[in-house]
Amino acid sequence: MRKLFLILFAFTILLSSTLLLAQEHGVDVHAGAKVEQVEAETSHQLPDTFMVIPFIVLLAMIATGPIMYQHFWEHHYPKIALFLGAITASYYLLVLQDTHSLLHTAAEYFSFIALLASLFYASGGIMIKVDKKATPLLNVIILFFGAVIANVIGTTGASMLLIRPFIKVNEKRIKPYLVVFFIFLVSNIGGALTPIGDPPLFLGFLKGIDFFWFIEHIWYIWLPTVTLLLIIFYFFDIGNKAGEDDTEYSGKIEFKGKKNLIYLAIILIAVFIDPNVMSWVPNLSPFPIGIREIIQFSVVLFAIKTSDESILKYNEFDVEPIREVAFLFIGIFATMIPALQLISHEANVMGDSLTPGLFFWSTGSLSGVLDNAPTYLNFLSAALGKFGLDLNNPADVKEFVNMDYIYLQAISVAAVFFGAMTYIGNGPNFMVKSIVESAGIRMPSFFSYIIKYSLPILVPVFILVWLVFYY
Amino acid sequence: MKKIVEVLKEQKNGLVFGNRVLLPFQAELLKIVIDSEIITNFGKRLKGAHVRVTDYYTEIYFLDYKILVDEIPKYKSIKMVLVQQGEDVFDFNKHINLEIEFLGKHQISIKKIGDNILFYE
Repeated sequence: MRKLFLILFAFTILLSSTLLLAQEHGVDVHAGAKVEQVEAETSHQLPDTFMVIPFIVLLAMIATGPIMYQHFWEHHYPKIALFLGAITASYYLLVLQDTHSLLHTAAEYFSFIALLASLFYASGGIMIKVDKKATPLLNVIILFFGAVIANVIGTTGASMLLIRPFIKVNEKRIKPYLVVFFIFLVSNIGGALTPIGDPPLFLGFLKGIDFFWFIEHIWYIWLPTVTLLLIIFYFFDIGNKAGEDDTEYSGKIEFKGKKNLIYLAIILIAVFIDPNVMSWVPNLSPFPIGIREIIQFSVVLFAIKTSDESILKYNEFDVEPIREVAFLFIGIFATMIPALQLISHEANVMGDSLTPGLFFWSTGSLSGVLDNAPTYLNFLSAALGKFGLDLNNPADVKEFVNMDYIYLQAISVAAVFFGAMTYIGNGPNFMVKSIVESAGIRMPSFFSYIIKYSLPILVPVFILVWLVFYY
Repeated sequence: MKKIVEVLKEQKNGLVFGNRVLLPFQAELLKIVIDSEIITNFGKRLKGAHVRVTDYYTEIYFLDYKILVDEIPKYKSIKMVLVQQGEDVFDFNKHINLEIEFLGKHQISIKKIGDNILFYE
């Protein structure tokens, strides 16, 4: 633990020295960077191709660690993420002398983790109990409700909030398919309509995509996909006759943790408290956090102090999932910088051969096996690069969004939808699996999940989406 | 030697030392859930859990852990299904669901799993 603090301390020193350097050069690092900064960024030379190696190593370890060397990974992932991140950061600082990219990335990281952590802590202190008889229709309603609220409190928040009541309602007829469809709809596909819904979209928002762009351009793909999956689920569920007895149910829905609902509201309002959205909001540059992040981090502290202990116990609240995200994403954000710049450059060269369908399948297939957030940014960078635009330039991002929405739509839909393909495609998937297994219910193995559920159910649905919208 | 029901009634505590848990009764273990790991195979001596029943207690070694108190999150407990030794293990009515919580460095509370905890045999 002491070693970890030393590493974190070193990271802070690195960040502080970068800040000082940046101040000397008059750099504005706040999220939603300014034009002069962007001009400086784009003028920087391209990194060496070998600098993509730390990113590839980290993604490969994130994919294989929890499955192949679980205990080693559980104990050492913070050091691995920080070490790999430090390699890239040192290269940019010492070799390229590019502080802009580092500070811009640090600002994005803090925005990202502030939102995720605050949603995680606030929703962890809420308890919902449903005392109703499980029926296929009730399950469909819960899953649809989960898919909708995933856009308000994130797929992580919605999963944490609803997985326990969903299991409890089905306690006498619990089967793996119930949890798998929960992962499909609540932990992934549901959250495709807002940047709060799923981390990749929030990264897109931080890069300059309008908050409401997603709902405006994705709802007509989201709705038929969710409906189709619910219909498939319904037919699975009517075949489940287990646990039919004469137990009487009160029909009550119990809700506890109202103050945490206020926290959730504060987090959501804070998303818009940004100097680029509201002119009165002060810009705290050169510090890589803004008012929004300060509010969201404060919610984390309030939630830790004030959440009801009995609810935390009921939820078996565990800080490990968010700790893991916090550490891994330091590594991901840092190591991803050269990959983003190189991909953007290559896409610019390849130009016309990159079609929306290609973006859909390539973003999707990688989002299924790698974390969908970095995958999203890489393909977004490539899509912008196709038109000679730069992802690190908010003006370029706006131009891209207005130019042709179909590329951004294909990437956004694929990154969110395909996250459901495996347990490692999106953060909440593993969390839901872990909560369900903590209750003593065995879940399908990594490969069994893919073979029994993802390939026969999701892939045909995604092919339909591709045929209708991107073929 | 006290029976499981007596231990529960008297709210007698157990012990924990490192990865070793001592329960003040004799029991046949059927299933343990620790964190998100479900252990039902007690035959292996390299992975999962190793159980030994003596004349005075039942001890469980959690082989994938070094110090349980440090490694199990604050709001999580160890859950298990067991049967009083000597009773009919094939009778589901004799199965008892217990949860173990850490009270300090070496003490553990032993409680029946209530409605507020999700656990399925």
